[in-house]
This record gives sequence, C-alpha cells and structure tokens, in this order.
Amino acid sequence: MRRDLYDLGWGAALAVTGFTVAGYAWASYDMGSLRRMGPGFFPVTLGLLLAGLGALIAIPAMSRPGRFRPFAWPETITVVTALLVFGLALDRLGILLTTALTVLIASSVAPRGGLGWRLVLSAAVTALVWVVFLRGLNMSLPVWPGAPR
Amino acid sequence: MTTVDGLAHGLAVALQPSVLIYSLLGAVLGTLVGVLPGIGAMAAITLLLPITYYISSEAALVMLAAVYYGAQYGGAVASILLRLPGTPQSAVTTLDGYPMAQQGRAGVALFTAMISSFAGSMLGIVILVLLAGWLSGLATSFGAADYAAMMVMGLVAASTIGEGRLAKSLAMVVLGVILGCVGTDVNSGAQRFTFGQVQLIDGINLVALAMGLFGLAEIIGNIRKAERDGPPARVSLRELVPTRDDLRRMVAPITRGTALGGFFGALPGTGSTISSFLSYALERRVARQPERFGKGAIEGVAGPEAANNSASITAFVPTLTLGIPGDPIMALMLGALVIHGIQPGPMMLEANPDMFWGLVVSFGIGNLFLLVLNLPLIGIWVSMLRIPFRWLYPAIIIFVCLGVYSVRGSTFDIVMVAAIGAIGYALTQAAFSPALLLLGFVLGPLIETNLRRALLVSRGDPMIFLERPIACGFVIATFALLIYGFVKRSDQGSQASSVAD
Repeated sequence: MRRDLYDLGWGAALAVTGFTVAGYAWASYDMGSLRRMGPGFFPVTLGLLLAGLGALIAIPAMSRPGRFRPFAWPETITVVTALLVFGLALDRLGILLTTALTVLIASSVAPRGGLGWRLVLSAAVTALVWVVFLRGLNMSLPVWPGAPR
Repeated sequence: MTTVDGLAHGLAVALQPSVLIYSLLGAVLGTLVGVLPGIGAMAAITLLLPITYYISSEAALVMLAAVYYGAQYGGAVASILLRLPGTPQSAVTTLDGYPMAQQGRAGVALFTAMISSFAGSMLGIVILVLLAGWLSGLATSFGAADYAAMMVMGLVAASTIGEGRLAKSLAMVVLGVILGCVGTDVNSGAQRFTFGQVQLIDGINLVALAMGLFGLAEIIGNIRKAERDGPPARVSLRELVPTRDDLRRMVAPITRGTALGGFFGALPGTGSTISSFLSYALERRVARQPERFGKGAIEGVAGPEAANNSASITAFVPTLTLGIPGDPIMALMLGALVIHGIQPGPMMLEANPDMFWGLVVSFGIGNLFLLVLNLPLIGIWVSMLRIPFRWLYPAIIIFVCLGVYSVRGSTFDIVMVAAIGAIGYALTQAAFSPALLLLGFVLGPLIETNLRRALLVSRGDPMIFLERPIACGFVIATFALLIYGFVKRSDQGSQASSVAD
C-alpha cells in the first residue's frame, strides 16, 4: 500500500465522529458558562478534541506507506450472526435450543471442519448452561419454546 | 484504625466461609484463564461481573481480584511451555522461559515463575498497606481541581506509555470519554445522546462495553490464531525442584522486580505489563553476562514475574484510595465497586473497612493458595493447554450472551455487544487500543463532575488548575508526558519507516 489506508480511514472517521458529536451537542444542549457549565460544554469540547486527533492521525498517514493487515471477515460475520441469533431466538425458542443453535453457528468458522465435533460441543455447552445457569444460579430464563419464565 | 487492627479485622472478613470460597474460586478461575491462550483476565472479569450481582460486595471484589492475580500465575505457564503468552503481562516471560523449556528445564522455569510471583505479591501487599494509609491521609486535602487534573494525567500517562502512535492512543481515550457522556447528565439531569432510547438513559452498560471490546473482539481475532499444533511437553513434580545455584540467582531479581513493580503499579496509567518489561530490561543491564539473556537465563523469568505480580497488587492503591483506576482491569474493579454501592476514595478506609482490609488480607490468602495449589496441580494446568480454542470460544460466546442478558434481562444489550465487538475487533486490527477506550469511559464522568465542581468553586476561573499546588503539579506532569510521548513516537516513527524502506 502506498499510503497507510488504515490510519487514513480511521483518522477521517474519528474526525467526522468528533465533528458530529460537537455539532449535535452544540445544537441540542445548553453550553452554559465556564462558571456554570451546561450539559453541552463537555461533549462539545471532547468532540472538537477528537476531530483534531482524527486529523492528526489521518494527515501523516497520507505520505506514509502502510502495510496490509488481514481482516478476519468470516469470523467477524459469524460471531456477530451468532449473537444476533441468540438475541432474537431467546424469547421464542427458550434458552436450551437457542444455546445449541448459537454454538452450531459460532463453531462453523472454526479452523477444523466437520459436523460431528460441533454437534457434541453444542450438546455439551447446552448441558453446561442447564447446570450452571438454570440449576446453579437459578437465573430466570425462558427454558423451552413458548414457556413462561 | 491502625494497621494491625485493620489486618486483624480483614482476617475476620476474609476468613468468612462465604468470602473465602469465592477467593479460592477466583484464584482457580484466574489461573485457568491465564493458562488458556485467547482468554485473558480482562475477559474473565467482565464475564464474572454480572454474576457478582448475586453475591455480597466483599465476596464479589475478592473473587474478581483473585481472578486478576491468579491469571498472572497462569499466564506464565503458557508463556514458558508454548512461547504463547496467556496474558500480556507474561509476554516477557517467553523470552527466557521458553528457551529454558527447550533445554529441558521447563519445570524449573515454572517453579521460578510461581515462587517469584508469590514473593512479588506478598511484598506488594506490604507496599499496598503502607502506601494506601499514607495516600488516603494525603488525599483528604485533595480538591475537585486536583482530582480532575490527576485523572487527566492518568489518562495521558496511559496513552503515552502504551504502544502505537500517540494521536491514536489519545483518540481512543477521548472516544471513551465521549461514550461515557451518553445517558443522564448527573449535574443538570439532561439526557445526552440517548436519541429517545429508554435503554440508554442509564448510559452505555459497562458490562456490554467491556464484553464487546474484550470478550468478543478477542475471540474474533483468536479463532484462527490461537489454534496450536503439537501438544506441550509433560511436566512432572520432580522436575520442578531448582538447584541451589538457581535459587541463589533468583533472590536479587525478585527483590528488584518487586520494588519496580510496586512503584509502577501504584502510579495511575502505568501497569503490570510495563513493569515486567522494565524489570527484564533492568535485569539484563545489571547482569554480569548479559548475553545469557534470551537463551534461558533464570533471572529473566524471576524478575518480570515478581514485577508484574507486585504491580497487580499495588495497582489497587490509586483505585481504592483515590477512586482512580490505573489500568483497564482496575477500571472494571472500580465499576464493580460502584455497582455494589461503594464509592472508592480517601474515605473508603474509614467508611468501608470491611472491604478494604478484607481485600488486603484476601490477597495474601489467595496468593498462598495459588502457590500451594499450583505447584502440585501443574500437571493439570499443562494438560489444559491441550484444549483447542475451537472447543472454547463457542462456549465463551454463550457466556457473553447470558452474562449481558442477566444484567437487566434485555436482548437489546446482546445486539449492542455484537456491534461493539465488531467495532472493537476492527479497532484492534487497525492498531488502536480498546483498553484505553474503556479507561476513558470509566474516568470520563468522574473528570466531568470534578471539572465542573472545580470551576464552580473558582467562579469560572481556569487559573485554579495552576494556583493549587497539587493540581499544578499534575498539569505540569501531563504536559511533560505529552512532550515525552511526542518525542518518543517521532523517534520510533522514523525508525519504523527506515525499516520499512
């Protein structure tokens, strides 16, 4: 890479975030005075500070060569999906089926393929959840589909 | 309360069965996560935070602290046997610990790490008691301006001492402070950045933030990385016994490492990782034959291990006496204290002697337990290293989900953790430090409150920060750190680019 695209991109993103925060706080909250600061004073200052730091990150990155770093896309997508599925399914399927399903999804990106060990793992984790969280800690969770807590 | 009374009082607290059991549980769990590469003390403490709602405040803090120092013991095992640091603090231990293992002296290296950790912790407790008494006396004369200035200095110190570019570290701190603003403003009652979401009125949940940044982000990054080929060597009890020469070589590095770690651990912003690196550098400098280092020098294991354990104990000094966490793990501890309704600060020794002295004594008990238990159990810890990461991370994901959900029964928080985790991984991948973000998040609201109070007292005159001698000292130190950080970084930057060419 001829330019350090990571720092360039992130610096720009942070600068934009900073300006957005400062602008939003300026427009929405009372600034007050130095003596009696309003709720807007601190966020506006911080937003501007972040914008400045973002610029300090991005500007030198333009004239500096960068190195490509691999991004674990499959892992990121799978792990995020697993969490979303857990969040959506918990109230509908109950904790045991949700756990089994989430483990199956999460383990699909493991470096070793095959379904056998994943089914075993999913059964083991589900059993662990039942023992620790339902029996041990007595957490109030929906256990089966459609079951009240 | 005198120190002797305090210790006696603490002993009574720490020996209560309901506290003792959590201290031991924490120590074992800590060792386990320290041994297992891919999960650190940070992730473990975050995962345990929601569970502490169910137990007493003393038991909760004692357990979380035990996880922290237990992980330091465990971290050395993976470092020595696999050259894979289980925790960042034990990264230096790989330098001489792994060569020792290759020379068939893995047992001696493990013994050295354990005994140095123990000695470092015990002496760290003495430093903690002495410093805490002195500092909490001193801190009663601190005003709002002094607190604000000191916390800003702590954040700047953490950014300058860490790795990477200064602007990137500072940006993470500022971003963390901004995230800390979300929710109801304590001074005016105004709702900031909530966008009408009821879930955000109390602010971003510390547990959700920490789980996303450390639990999930670490898992994503480690799924491919932490998978190792080839099991580690077996270690039997008999191999642990060091020679007389080994013992003689250990004493001085342990003493120096403890002193170094005790000092740097107590400073806000520096932490146990830095102390272990400094201790290694010091040992190599004072050694008669520095060329032995990197090839299995026992001093290179003893010094850093004593230093990081000593630092992990004295890190509680600023956290408990000033209410200022020095590193992200302490920020979580502070969060746990606040969850249990205890405001750490100079009054804590008086107001919550149970908590303070109970913690101090539990450090001693926990470390003794770790030493007694870990030496015989070393075989079990070593066999833990054989568990592949692919068996662990799906289970950790479930614990993350359940942990976050248990805080307030909200699936919104699980979605939030997913988003924070993805962002956290992206930040780490671009060499930003999510740890600094968390430190800013915890300290931000405290800084704002003290800043506003200080300026109210001074009638809006910012000169108060230069007129009060304590605050002025912190302001000068902050600028000195910024200049130092800038000079150091531009130095490294030019070196790095010349290497790249």
